[in-house]
Amino acid sequence: MEAQKVDMFIMTNAKYFESHQLPAIRDRLLEIDDSKWAIIQTLQFKDPTISLIVSLLGGQLGIDRFLIGDTGLGIGKLLTCGGLGIWAIVDWFLIMGATREKNVDKLRQVI
Amino acid sequence: MSSTLSSRKLYTILLIACATGYFWIFYNYAYNPGYQEGVNTCIIKQVTSIPCPSCGTTRAVLTLFNLQLLESLYWNPIGLIIVGIMVFAPIWIAIDLILKKDSLYLFYGKIERFFRIRWVAIISIILILANWIWNIQKGL
Repeated sequence: MEAQKVDMFIMTNAKYFESHQLPAIRDRLLEIDDSKWAIIQTLQFKDPTISLIVSLLGGQLGIDRFLIGDTGLGIGKLLTCGGLGIWAIVDWFLIMGATREKNVDKLRQVI
Repeated sequence: MSSTLSSRKLYTILLIACATGYFWIFYNYAYNPGYQEGVNTCIIKQVTSIPCPSCGTTRAVLTLFNLQLLESLYWNPIGLIIVGIMVFAPIWIAIDLILKKDSLYLFYGKIERFFRIRWVAIISIILILANWIWNIQKGL
């Protein structure tokens, strides 16, 4: 794809991905065909800030994990009182990274 | 199935959770024989003084290990699921590691997909909410 389009995509979506993954994403986007641009543009990514807010409010019930699609871990958190409260607190710090990983997975499925 | 959660990571999480669970149960069994409310780890209960859906699970697991099934169900039915996971997960993981298979990982994926079916999710949420209401009414 054209460098201009790719850079525009990176600029508008940088906050959804881990910063160390951005160069690889950019290289991959430059390689792929122009026909995928429409699909890539319609992808909806999860906002890490939203998942952090949900984690702070409903992390004890595993709602943050359900939100980003980790249903199994969400059930685990729900049934164990947020992992005795410890896992819930640990996830306040992990959930933003986990959300970004999920977004990269979603993008990888297309490109 | 999420591709970020590898089978090794899942097994590590499960083993740590089971080990913590056994330690927690042993601690409560040894130092809290009357199932009094001991150390309270529930953030929701500490902040709002309303019990969460899984409050009382420790007491349920302890009474179940004493073979008092009805009392265990009274404290919290979630205890049954927890005991099942705590007993079978380490055995299943050991078998998987010995036979070098991923059967538990594949099963976990199936469970995840099962709970994403709309009606299953709705029924589960209703059950959890009912359990929550029951917990509040019991005043755990």
